[in-house]
Amino acid sequence: MSELVLDRLRKEYGSFVAVDDVSLHVREGELVALLGPSGCGKTTTLRMIAGFIEPTAGRITIGGRDVTWDPPYRRDTGMVFQSYALFPHMTVAQNVAFGLEMRKVPRAEAETRVRRALDLVRLGHLADRLPRQLSGGQQQRVALARALVVNPGVFLLDEPLSNLDAKLRLEVRVEIRELQKRLGLTTVFVTHDQEEALTLADRLVVLDHGVVQQVGTPEELYEAPANLFVAGFIGRSNVLRGRVVERGRFVTEAGLALAVPTDGFEPGAAALALRPERITVIPGAAGNGVSGRVALVTYLGAATEYRVTLDGGESLTASMATPRPGDPLKRVGAGDVVTLTWPAETCRLLAPDRGAPTDEGGS
Amino acid sequence: MTRMTIGRRALVGAAAGLLAAPGVPRAQGGGRCVVGTWGGDYQDLLKANIDDPLMKPQGIEVLYDVAVAPPRKTKLLAERMTRRGTFDVACLSDIDMFEMAQQNLFDEPTPDLVPNMRNVIPALAKRYALPHIYSGKVILYNPAKMAKPRSYNDLWDPKLRGRVGLADGLYMQFIETAALINGGSPSNFEPAKKKLLELKALGAKVYPSNEALAAALKGEEVWATIMWLARGFMWKQAGIPVEHAVPEEGATPIVFDKAVPRNAPNKANGWKWMQAMLEPSAQAGFAARMGYVPTVRNATLPEDLAKQISFTEAEQEKFVKIDYQYIADNNAAYLDWWTREFKG
Amino acid sequence: MARAAALAAARSGRRAGAFSLGPALAVPAALLVAAFLAAPLAVLFRYSLNRYSPREFMIDAVTAENYIRFFTDAYFIGVLATTVQVAAVCTAVSLLFAFPLAYLLARTDSRWKSALVIAVVFPLMVGNVVRAAGWMAVLGNDGIVNHALLGLGLVTQPVRLMYTPFAVHVGIIAVVLPYMILTLQSVIEGIGRDVEEAASNLGAGPITVFRRVLLPLSLPGVIAGSTLVFILCMNAYATPVLLGGPQFKMMAPALYDQFVRTTNWPFGAALAFILMVSTLVLTVIGTTVLSRRMHHRRLEAAPR
Ligand SMILES: Nc1ncnc2c1ncn2[C@@H]1O[C@H](COP(=O)(O)OP(=O)(O)O)[C@@H](O)[C@H]1O
Ligand SMILES: [Mg+2]
Repeated sequence: MSELVLDRLRKEYGSFVAVDDVSLHVREGELVALLGPSGCGKTTTLRMIAGFIEPTAGRITIGGRDVTWDPPYRRDTGMVFQSYALFPHMTVAQNVAFGLEMRKVPRAEAETRVRRALDLVRLGHLADRLPRQLSGGQQQRVALARALVVNPGVFLLDEPLSNLDAKLRLEVRVEIRELQKRLGLTTVFVTHDQEEALTLADRLVVLDHGVVQQVGTPEELYEAPANLFVAGFIGRSNVLRGRVVERGRFVTEAGLALAVPTDGFEPGAAALALRPERITVIPGAAGNGVSGRVALVTYLGAATEYRVTLDGGESLTASMATPRPGDPLKRVGAGDVVTLTWPAETCRLLAPDRGAPTDEGGS
Repeated sequence: MTRMTIGRRALVGAAAGLLAAPGVPRAQGGGRCVVGTWGGDYQDLLKANIDDPLMKPQGIEVLYDVAVAPPRKTKLLAERMTRRGTFDVACLSDIDMFEMAQQNLFDEPTPDLVPNMRNVIPALAKRYALPHIYSGKVILYNPAKMAKPRSYNDLWDPKLRGRVGLADGLYMQFIETAALINGGSPSNFEPAKKKLLELKALGAKVYPSNEALAAALKGEEVWATIMWLARGFMWKQAGIPVEHAVPEEGATPIVFDKAVPRNAPNKANGWKWMQAMLEPSAQAGFAARMGYVPTVRNATLPEDLAKQISFTEAEQEKFVKIDYQYIADNNAAYLDWWTREFKG
Repeated sequence: MARAAALAAARSGRRAGAFSLGPALAVPAALLVAAFLAAPLAVLFRYSLNRYSPREFMIDAVTAENYIRFFTDAYFIGVLATTVQVAAVCTAVSLLFAFPLAYLLARTDSRWKSALVIAVVFPLMVGNVVRAAGWMAVLGNDGIVNHALLGLGLVTQPVRLMYTPFAVHVGIIAVVLPYMILTLQSVIEGIGRDVEEAASNLGAGPITVFRRVLLPLSLPGVIAGSTLVFILCMNAYATPVLLGGPQFKMMAPALYDQFVRTTNWPFGAALAFILMVSTLVLTVIGTTVLSRRMHHRRLEAAPR
C-alpha cells in the first residue's frame, strides 16, 4: 500500500493528445475513481500507471519511487482488466497463485493466501475449475482475487463491472468497496458510470478529452461542479444560459430574472446550473417563484419528474418525491399551470464556455 | 499383361483418371490427331514443321497432350486396358518406347500405312515404332582445359581427377560406357561396376540434372562429361565451353521414337501424322534448333550444321547396337546399384 | 465412409426430431475424401502387394515381399531415417524461427501488417523448383554466400554448400517456414494481449510470460503448425533432389525413382505406403506427447 502520484502525465498518439498533463495524488488507502465519457483517456491513464503504455511526458511515482520507466513487472500494481484476462489454461487456484509464484512466496504460504483470497471473494469451492467453467461474475471475482492476493502497492481496476448485469454489478461493487476498505488498498478505479463512481470513490477525477475537469469528493463534485461539463456529468443539471446583470442577479436569454449568488462573477455572460431535485413544484399559480406549464410527467417510482415549459419559453426539469394520494400535486398533469421554486443558494453560476452533456437545458 | 484380371480394370481406370494429368478432351474421330509429347521447343517445332505445313492441309486438327515422359508412360500403362486411349501418337525416347512396347501397347507400322518408312535409316528401325530424330552419345570436353579425348578411357585419366561430371539421369549411359571399355558388351553391363567405382575414386561428380551439369561445365568446375551430341550442340550455342569427341568405342544412338497405341481414338490420323513426320521437309527443321539429326536417308542438312551434329558414315557404321531387352530387364537392378554403390 | 456419414446424418436428424444442417454439411467433404483420398490409397495399397517384373511390369499377387525388401535392406532403412531426421530438424528449426515472426505479425498494429503477411506468403507463390534454383544461386560454389565469404577473406576456397545436407535443410525450412508462421500467427492472434499483460502485471518478466502463458496457450498452434510442416518435410521432393544432389536420398525421391525410372510400381507403392504410415505414426506420437505436456504443466502448476 503506497501513495500514487501522477505528475503532468501526458500521452500523445501522433498529433492526437489522449491524456493531457494529468496530475493526481492518490493517498494511501484511498479509492479514486477516474470518471469520464468513453474515449476521454481513462484506460490510457490507467495503463500508463500499470506500465503497459509509455507516457510521452510526465512522471509516475508509487510509494515515492519513480516508476515511470519501469516495466510492468517491476511496478507492484495489481490490475483488474475489463476483460478479466484470466489465464484460460490455468485453474482458478493457479490463476490466483500466479502472482505469488512470481514473488517466490513459499508454497505453503502461497496456498494459504490463495485459499484466503478465494474465500474473500467467496469462490473457495471453485478453486479447481477452469475460467471457462465460470460465470461472468465468478470470473470477475477471480480476477479480483488474483490482483488482491499479492497485496499490490496500487490496485488498478479498468471498468471491472461493465461486463456484468445490473444486479450483479451492484453486488460486486459493494464487495470491491468492502475489500478495498478492509485491506486499505490504494486504488484507482476507472469507470464511465457516474453512479458507480459516486458510490465507490473517496474522491473522483472527472476527465474529458484527456484533461482533468475537476478533482474532489463526490459531494464536492455534486454540490460544486467546477464547470458545465462536470455539472452535467455528475448527476443531472438544468442549465440556463444568460448574463449576470448585477450582483446577485442573473437574467436568462429568454429574459427571466433570477436571484442567485454571484460571488466571483463579474456582470457578463454566464450559465446557471440547477439540480432537478432542488426544485419544488407547486400546483397552480403562486406568488413566489417561476411559473410555467407542465409539458411532461414521468413517473419513476420513488420520484416523479416534471418537465415544465416556462413562460419565457425555456424549460426546466424538476424531480419530486412521488406525491402520495390526496396530495394536490398528484393531480398535476401535462398542460397544467405550476409554479417552481428553489432556494437561491442551490443555484450555481458557471462559466458559459463549454457545452454540457445534459439531457435538458434552458436553451 | 495376360495375367491382369477383369477386376483390375476398375482400379486401373481409377488410377488412370487420378494419375494422368488433366489432358486434352478426348478426340472425337474425324479431323483430329492427339499427340502426346514434350512441351516447349519440341512442341513448337512439331507444330511448325509437321502440323502446320502437312497436317492442316489435310484438314486434320492436331492436339497436344503435353507432359514429360514419365506421366506419358504412366498414362499409356494405365490406359492399356481401356478401349479408347488418349493418344493417337505417343512420343518417347527409344529406351522408354521399348519398355512400353514390351507391354504390347502399340500397333505395328507398315509401309502401306506409312510409305515414308521405306526411307528410315535401317539401324534406327524398329518393329513397334518409327524413329523421328536421333543423336548419339559422345564425349563433351573443355578444349581449353584438356586434350581432345579419343576413347571413353581417356576420362579415367588421373589428370582429370574431380573434373568429370555426370548427370544423374543418364546413369544407364555411364554404365554402358564403362561396360564397353571394360570387356563388357551392350548385353553385359556387369564389368561396368568395377570401372565406374574407379571413376568414383577419381572424384567424378554427379549432378542432379542436366542443367546443373551444364552450370558446372560453364563454371569450369568440371571439364568433361558423356552426353548426347545434340545437347552438347545446344550447350555450345549457349556459350558453354565444350567441344565434342566421338569415342573410338562408337557412339550410342539416342532416338526419339513415335508409336501409335492400339487404343488410339483416331488411329488413321495417327498414321497420317507419322507419314508427315518422316517427310524430308519436316525432318530438317529439328536440326538447327535442337541438334538432332534426321532419321530418313532422303533428308539433307546444310553442310555446316551437319558437321556439328551428324555422324559420318564411318561413325554410323560403328554405332553401338543397343540391346533394349537387356536394358529393360536390368534397369531396376542397375539403378539400385547406381544409387547405392556409385552415388552412396 | 461417405455412406456412414450420410447414415449418421439421417439417424441424428430423425432422433433429434429437429432440423440440423450440421451432419449433412459433412457429406460433400466425406464424398470428396472418399473419391480423392481413400480410393487412390486403396489402389496404391493394392499395388504394393503385387510383384514386379521388368518384362511384365506388374504381376497380380498378394505378397509382402515389397515390404520385406524395404525392412530388410539397410539402405532403405537409412533413407527413411534420413527423411525422419531431416523432417524433425526442419520442423524444430522452423518452429524456432517462426515463433518470433508470428508473434510480431500477430501483435503489430503497424499499417504495414498486410504487406508483411504478403511478404511471408509470397514465397509460397514461387514453385519449389524455381526456389531451389534460387538457392543454387545463393549456395553454389560461385554463389552469393561464397562470394561474400571469399570477399571477406574468411575462406580461401569456396565452401561446398550446394549438394550437402545443410543445403537441403536450409531449402526445406525456407519452403515450410511460411506455413509455420501463418499457423502460429492465427493462433497467437487469438490469445488476448491482455493475458500477457496480466501476467506481466503480476510480476512475470518477458521470458516467464512466454514460458508460462504464451507458449502453453499457443500450443495448439505449435501442434498444428508442426504437424503440417512435418508432413510437408517428410514428403519433400524437389528440394532434396535439387539441393541435396544425387547422393542425398529421402523417401519421396526414392519412391519417385521406383515409379518413374524403373517403373517398379509395386515397390514404389510400398515405399509410398511406408512413408505415409510413418508420417502418420510420428505425427500422432508427436501430437500426443505435446498435448500431454500441455496437460501435465497444468496439473504440476496446481498449488495443492
Ligand atoms: N494506440 C492508440 N493509437 C491512437 N489512438 C489511441 C490509441 N489508444 C487509444 N487511443 C485514443 O485515445 C483516446 C483515449 O482512449 P482510452 O484511454 O482507451 O479511452 P477511455 O476513456 O474510453 O478508456 C481515444 O480517443 C482513443 O481513440
Ligand atoms: Mg476504457
